[in-house]
Amino acid sequence: MMIHAIVADDEVLARQKLRQLLRDEPEIEIVGEGASASETIDLVRATRPELLFLDIRMPGMDGFDIIGELSVGSDFAMPRIIFTTAYDCYALRAFEIHAVDYLLKPFTSERLHSAVQRAREQISATKQNLGRSNGRSSQDASSYTTRIVFKSRGRILFLPVSDIRWIGAEENYVRICTEADKHLLRETMSHLEEKLDPQMFLRVHRSAIVNLQYLKEVRTEPSGEFTVVLVNGQKVAMSRSYHARISEWLARG
Amino acid sequence: MHPAIFVSASVLLGILFALQEWMSVRLWSYHIGIRLLLEAWGLQYFLWGVLCWLLWRWLGPRIQQAKAFCIITRVLPLSIVISIAEEMIWVSCFPHLPLNRPHLTYWHRLAFQLDAELIDNMVIFWCAFALFRGVGYYQKFREKEDAAAQLSVQLAHAQIATLRMQLNPHFLFNTLNSISSLMRIDVAAADTMLEQLGSLLRITLERGQVQFIRLNDEMEFVEMYLAMQERRFAGRVRQQLSVHPELHDALVPAMILQPLIENAYTHGLSKLDSDGLLVIEATRRDKCLMLSILNNGAGLNSNPPKGSDGQGVGLANIRSRLRLHYGDQHTFDIREVTQDQVEVTITLPLQFSASPTEKLTRFGE
Repeated sequence: MMIHAIVADDEVLARQKLRQLLRDEPEIEIVGEGASASETIDLVRATRPELLFLDIRMPGMDGFDIIGELSVGSDFAMPRIIFTTAYDCYALRAFEIHAVDYLLKPFTSERLHSAVQRAREQISATKQNLGRSNGRSSQDASSYTTRIVFKSRGRILFLPVSDIRWIGAEENYVRICTEADKHLLRETMSHLEEKLDPQMFLRVHRSAIVNLQYLKEVRTEPSGEFTVVLVNGQKVAMSRSYHARISEWLARG
Repeated sequence: MHPAIFVSASVLLGILFALQEWMSVRLWSYHIGIRLLLEAWGLQYFLWGVLCWLLWRWLGPRIQQAKAFCIITRVLPLSIVISIAEEMIWVSCFPHLPLNRPHLTYWHRLAFQLDAELIDNMVIFWCAFALFRGVGYYQKFREKEDAAAQLSVQLAHAQIATLRMQLNPHFLFNTLNSISSLMRIDVAAADTMLEQLGSLLRITLERGQVQFIRLNDEMEFVEMYLAMQERRFAGRVRQQLSVHPELHDALVPAMILQPLIENAYTHGLSKLDSDGLLVIEATRRDKCLMLSILNNGAGLNSNPPKGSDGQGVGLANIRSRLRLHYGDQHTFDIREVTQDQVEVTITLPLQFSASPTEKLTRFGE
């Protein structure tokens, strides 16, 4: 699958960096570069890309104005947006308009890669949905959250919940563990549990929720306690009262 | 305050009273010499001036801090004693008073005067008492104001110092040099380091003027700083961080840990080729928060005495910020745990943030 993309940034070096890094992403083909808002709008209308790398502060209009302009009276599908900016204050707005990701400059190629990865997943999912005639809408997965936005160590993350391996409680905070990272969020376990799809996440302890995708086994320790073992070998303590629930799930699987 | 202030203010008051009485007795066409009046009133208030100064001198702070119980059990009897004592001295100085009663004994005269003056004397004493308390409150208020002003200056210095940390040869140039050399061999690693430097600067600028931050915010900053140091020291130092979950919301002065960790690197860990250990812990001790930073670099003796380089300035800054924030309710120690192991410990009164964090976290789609 080829993804047509446009890079919009008023700084030539910023565009150059993106172009350079995107060479390592074989599925991305850059079909145009915009140095101003109006140029970008014209380019998008002419080329109808699937993906737009968008700086927020540009001469004339800002990135959100460009999106507003494009979505008014357009007869084509909006491109997916990945913001690239030096400002962190627009993150929530970006999240609300369903941007794919929000890259704070300067960013690394890994960070860009994960953003592109997510864009690719979203674009292919949309295509499949269109292919299915009047199939079930994507809203079908119900009201459970599919991603979380938060700030961690100077980065803004639009984290898909499917990346979460497990979540541990620490008093007023929760520690969200992904494959490579851990993030501390001021949240309660019960609030999180409500937001997460029970088909995907299971509370195994008062202070632990695990992603069933990464669950390897449930072990009975010599002491009679139960432990959940994740695919990476991580062990999470499990309370007796939750044991029945997980056994049931394992039997089903 | 200088005794002359007490005595002269008080005598002036006495003279005014004397003049007032002189005018009023003239109105009643009754004659008493102005000189006698001035002497009597003047001496009475002179005595009070001296007594007040002595009170201020010896008991000033205790009077200012006295609680209700102490006022009733100590200050009230004291007021009676002093009022009588003043009258005794006064009576002995004027043997021919009261006028027209030449044959009274000292004790009779004293009883006569006390009958007329005791209440007045008590009023004078309690006025002075109220004045002392008022002065105490005013001084405390001024002290607080001064401390606040000093704190903001100190914080400004701390911020400048932090920025300098990022912009001084120590840190920024070394980091830039690392990036420059990484650029040729590992572009991705150089990129990562630039991203980390960017995040660190972004957070520093965002914090702005805030005096206290949550421990988890301070630790986040520390983690970012450590990630950069880790890259520079490439596996030579093992970093261990632990924060008791109860303490994530505890308040600490902003930027209190980073200078200490930087010291641990520059004066300790940088001298090791391998097996460096840096342990940063936040634990709870009753009503105190204890922060400790331990490194196994070089020990205290290997370092030049404080003040001969940048170290003294950083530590002095931390010490004075802690003192201004917490007075004597904190401790700050640097000690050698074993040879080569240096531990810095700070204990602070445990305070939690009252206002909820402004959080970015949202759930969506």
